[in-house]
Amino acid sequence: MKDKIERLIQEKLVREAEVNTRRHFIKSCAQGMGGIALSSIFMGCDPLGKPKTNSSMGFSERDLNPLATLSPPYAPKVKSVIYLHMAGAPSQLEMFDYKPQLQKYDGQDCPQSLLEGKKFAFIKGTPKLLGPQAEFKQEGESGNWVSNFLPHFKKVVDEVAFLKAVNTDQFNHGPAQLFMHTGSPRLGRPSIGAWATYGLGSENQNLPGFVVLTSGGNSPDAGKSVWGSGFLPSVYQGVQCRSKGDPVLYIEDPEGITRDLKKNTIKTINEINKKEYAKYADPEILARINQYEMAYRMQIAVPEVMNINSEPEHIKQMYGVEPGKESFANNCLLARKLVEDGVRFVQLFDWGWDTHGNIREGSIDLGLRNKCREIDRPITALILDLKQRGLLDDTLIVWGGEFGRTPMQENRGNKKMAYKGRDHHGDAFTMWMAGGGIKKGASFGQTDDIGFSAVEGRVSVHDVHATILHLLGFDHEQFTYEFQGRNFRLTDVEGEIIKEILA
Amino acid sequence: MKINFHIKSRYLKLVFFAFIISGCTSTGEKVDFSTQIKPILNTKCITCHGGVKKSGGFGLLFKEDAFTETESGKPAIIPGNASGSEMIKRLHEEDPELRMPYEKAKLSDEEIDLLTRWVDQGAEWGEHWAYSLPEKVDVPTFAQKASLGPENENGFLKNQIDNFVLARMDAEALEPNAPADKNVIARRVALDLVGLPPTPQLLQNFESGTISYEAMVDSLLAQKTYGEKWATWWLDLARYADSKGYEKDMERSIWKYRDWVINAFNEDMPYDRFTIEQLAGDLLPESSTDQLIATAFHRNTMNNDEGGTDDEEFRVATVIDRINTTFSVWQSTTMECVQCHSHPYDPFRHKEYYELMAFFNNSRDEDTPSESPLLKFFTPEQQKEVDKVIEWATRFGSDQLARTYKDFMQFTEPVYKSHFFKDFKSSVYDDHASVVFWDNGSCIIENAYTNEASYVLLNYRSHYNGTKMTIRANDGQGPILGEFTINKTKGNITAQFPIKKIDEKTDLYIETQNNAVAKEINILNLYWVGFVPDLPARDQPGWSDANAAFLEALNANTETVPIMAENPKFMKRTTQLFDRGSWLSKTDTVMPGTPESLNTWNTDWPDNRLGLSRWIVDKRNPLTARTLVNRVWHQIFGRGIVATLEDIGSQSEPPSHPELLDWLSLRFMNEHGWSIKALVKDIVMSGTYRQSSESTPEMYRLDPNNELLARGPRIRLGAEQIRDQALAVSGLLSDKMYGPGVMPPQPDGVWQTVYNGSKWVESKGEDRYRRGIYTYLKRTSPYPSFLTFDAGSREVCMIRRTVTNTPLQALVTLNDPVYLEASYQLAKNTREKDNVGRSIAKAYRMATLSDIEPETLSALMELYQNSLAEFNSNKEASKLFLKFDNQPTAELSALTIVANAIMNLDEFLTKA
Repeated sequence: MKDKIERLIQEKLVREAEVNTRRHFIKSCAQGMGGIALSSIFMGCDPLGKPKTNSSMGFSERDLNPLATLSPPYAPKVKSVIYLHMAGAPSQLEMFDYKPQLQKYDGQDCPQSLLEGKKFAFIKGTPKLLGPQAEFKQEGESGNWVSNFLPHFKKVVDEVAFLKAVNTDQFNHGPAQLFMHTGSPRLGRPSIGAWATYGLGSENQNLPGFVVLTSGGNSPDAGKSVWGSGFLPSVYQGVQCRSKGDPVLYIEDPEGITRDLKKNTIKTINEINKKEYAKYADPEILARINQYEMAYRMQIAVPEVMNINSEPEHIKQMYGVEPGKESFANNCLLARKLVEDGVRFVQLFDWGWDTHGNIREGSIDLGLRNKCREIDRPITALILDLKQRGLLDDTLIVWGGEFGRTPMQENRGNKKMAYKGRDHHGDAFTMWMAGGGIKKGASFGQTDDIGFSAVEGRVSVHDVHATILHLLGFDHEQFTYEFQGRNFRLTDVEGEIIKEILA
Repeated sequence: MKINFHIKSRYLKLVFFAFIISGCTSTGEKVDFSTQIKPILNTKCITCHGGVKKSGGFGLLFKEDAFTETESGKPAIIPGNASGSEMIKRLHEEDPELRMPYEKAKLSDEEIDLLTRWVDQGAEWGEHWAYSLPEKVDVPTFAQKASLGPENENGFLKNQIDNFVLARMDAEALEPNAPADKNVIARRVALDLVGLPPTPQLLQNFESGTISYEAMVDSLLAQKTYGEKWATWWLDLARYADSKGYEKDMERSIWKYRDWVINAFNEDMPYDRFTIEQLAGDLLPESSTDQLIATAFHRNTMNNDEGGTDDEEFRVATVIDRINTTFSVWQSTTMECVQCHSHPYDPFRHKEYYELMAFFNNSRDEDTPSESPLLKFFTPEQQKEVDKVIEWATRFGSDQLARTYKDFMQFTEPVYKSHFFKDFKSSVYDDHASVVFWDNGSCIIENAYTNEASYVLLNYRSHYNGTKMTIRANDGQGPILGEFTINKTKGNITAQFPIKKIDEKTDLYIETQNNAVAKEINILNLYWVGFVPDLPARDQPGWSDANAAFLEALNANTETVPIMAENPKFMKRTTQLFDRGSWLSKTDTVMPGTPESLNTWNTDWPDNRLGLSRWIVDKRNPLTARTLVNRVWHQIFGRGIVATLEDIGSQSEPPSHPELLDWLSLRFMNEHGWSIKALVKDIVMSGTYRQSSESTPEMYRLDPNNELLARGPRIRLGAEQIRDQALAVSGLLSDKMYGPGVMPPQPDGVWQTVYNGSKWVESKGEDRYRRGIYTYLKRTSPYPSFLTFDAGSREVCMIRRTVTNTPLQALVTLNDPVYLEASYQLAKNTREKDNVGRSIAKAYRMATLSDIEPETLSALMELYQNSLAEFNSNKEASKLFLKFDNQPTAELSALTIVANAIMNLDEFLTKA
């Protein structure tokens, strides 16, 4: 009897896995969760958002496993994304956007014409201009400018493509981070990583498809929503992996429990659940059986991939890791290991880039220099390491903050600040991308003489998103999810692919 | 012609039926706009000819757009004359440049035929079903279904709900399932009504036949746990949380609102009252404390304390959230779309959004860190003082004056808050809270009204003695209204200073001088400035006492809850349309108003939130009752009668049982007087609900979502329920109700929020084992295991939780110490000496309420034996595993493993 059920279930799993994922009706994805929650969630929601004509009643592999791999509609340039977000907003003027003219105007009043109609987070009245606090050189064959705050980075400058005039209309951290990661400054939208995982699933069924790593002592200002799934099913939200404590919450077996015991437990649970399926025929039960098996495998795979000690010494040195601590260097090495193992989207947040000049750590000359030191070697190592493994061509690396910083010295409370610092500035700031499909050594966009606004090649956050999706094999205008009677996109109603930085 | 099984709406059937009758000619059956034409227009035409885009000047969303002259100078539809109508002609065009839909596939012959006949028949413009509610619905009857009838105890037809359900089943040639077993239905109904399994006593009484099913239902409905269960659902809609959200995400003390919701459900407050009190409790005459607490519904919006944020921007964001939430919660309508342009599919115009905004745009809250207005809760002694003031104001003034004083003492509004002060000289707004004055500092409050008071109330903190403050009308040269000295204070205080009475609005110039203090040094922080009409009868004995009591109340330190309070006339904001939804580009001024396509406005209603709430619960509103009924149904069946819970409109799923939805809605309003308990009881008393959920792969294939209701509901439990149930069956669950959020154990390092010192301090004693509804919810970092089981962060209104099935969930119930402790307790409670089989059977029965089947028992026995062998081979393992026990044994460890396996069974995690 038991064998027979077993065989029936196996046959069913195979049969159902063969049924294509395409479903009956575009409407069905908004159709709630009946007894068969999973299938109704995925029903009809193929990432292209096209209505289905196939009226097969079977459920798909995705019903059993929402992270099953899917192919994008167009040929992708990359399989994975590593997104490095410097939370707090790094100063483009001390890192990549060289403005010799600004040095000349150092200490002078900011022209009124620039201030008219502008809103700043903290600057009041007429602030003074502040010259660059770093020295710049042209590096590599591309001759792109890099400051002396980033001595290692010059080695990889020819791998990256700069966007020198990114624009955002948000100038407070929380909303700006949300905008940068969900395409909307308000809560409720899915993050880029959630979109990517929803559209593509994961290449490795033993690891989460979307992993988040944080450093700098704090989570990003906007909280977990920056890696949330918004209106997408919560299975697509980022899973925070931690360098202290359990790498994933509850992944470690309780003390005193061996792997064998856990295996036996799961085997027993699944055995009884199969009996339950024979009675109720609810496909959710089959999905649960699947998930328990995956949980067991994840318990092995996650600690393994999260263990940086197993890496050879020269690799550890290359990144400058600090095992046992929460550090950006560790996270960069982990990011490589994760994409190497097929994780779709790795999101790093490093906190501590908010350089207003109110405290030493938050100063544009001293504090920023330290932050740059923390990321310089690891990022360089990440690019070189991916390259030497042949993974860089399949991976997209994105670097940036939620906005940039003003060419003016901040004057919070209309007073002189204790240290040199810059206020939030969204008009024009620098981001860069590297990896598959990216034009190596490119630089697109230019700011005016003092780095206040774009003079050419201005791109929006939506454009950045459109470009990331393009590289993953999606047309951002077609990649939609129906929610509340409307088709939503990551790029809302805007966004153009930034062709100038594509190979 | 094969009918796709999935298109099961009766509407489509009608379409096909119409073809058969008419033989696909252009005569015959009358075409129905709402069910036959509107769906074609919505899917094929409206993207280009809708409310947003009207290509060629032709729109098909509103009637007047459809029949008006297009850019060609002629209307595109000529009623009664299809062949002369451009719209129909274009459907037949062979030239792709001319044919409609443009650059899309040609419409099918059936669709063209329908449109043609519709125009020929006069192009009658109908209303979508969602926007009108019938007055009466007939219940289907069955003459020949005796075996299913009420006289048969096991019959399907238990109440009238079943007639509607059976009618649909009949049409699909399906039979209802057998009734569920007693233990199964008892567990199901208890989980649905109180969110917990039934107590052993109740179960036994029911199983033994001592009490009837109905008596069991009544008993569950009367339990306090009922309110906790249903409030959990409502709090998702209300976006209730214990923190303010955004970057700083500081704590917000608003749990009294949560307790109000629990009580409202337990008292079965009629839904119309429930609605009015939450939306406009503050505007009711003589509003009670409870009615004020209820208004915290709309104070659950987020509050942005991040440095450098514009309070007005986030105040506007709050107002927008209130409009959207109100319409999502009560009308199943997504108003978001209309913020930027007319609705693409539903009949709501851009302007109507701002007319709705006008209702919400005049509350006192302004995104300040204090979150004023805050309702104060006075101690009995403090209350005596407060009453003294109110009595005085009533006796020597008027009822109206007394209300002004009462309100001001209770929530300190209206006042002018410092973030709106202007023209800072040697003073600065210190971002969010107060204006900092230096020596010779000044600033201006624009267009202030002093309420003809001879006192100004200041809330400030002064760091020095002897600061001279001068208040002038207009500007620095204006006439002096008041001149007084401010001395050092301990913290913030509210104090009274004399000023000249004036009776018109003026700019107020405030200046500070203190030569003894160096330049650019903070002399004082001014938080707000307020004016209350004078307390009358100054010459009467006792006045000083009353006035002192007034000031004491203002300075009283009490518990608080944020509430809604309306602007007085002199502070009213005008509301303007935002061009393309941007708050920075305002255009035409609008007045409060409700969408034309819904019920008409009764001119007796005040044009404020109170009027709006009366409009919502007006029985002519087509969406209020349906929305509630649909969502309650969804809570119980896991699927709404309209599956798109968020949206009942022209883009929603057609109802699976349209007449049932209307019948229940009418009954809910008219017969049950908006009683939610009565509605819930109707549903759980039905034969439909009481069916077994056992099924076959064929049935799932036929009806994966149980739309036809030929089986009982089977749904995974919600996040809070899974934990509550584990605690309940292991005897750990505390029945303590109400109060501040509690912090059960969660892993270290989960809370990491910038600029926020708050910490997760593990609760002690029974607070560790409270129901999930009491778990502290920090928006940027909610309780992790709830998140894993699909609970939300409550930053915005959540209409439903999408149920997922993930490995991370397995890790929670397998490894989270909460579940291990519960497993251990269950094992301990059910252990029988020297009889492992009986112990396991008991634990299984306790957890699932079912008797264990031999195969299950043998599987669990095997797990027990394996585990026992492991624990025996390693004596240390038990000590490590059972930290809760003083003398852990290998036997108890192995039994705990088995109990944990039981808590991971699908059967345990699911309501079947």
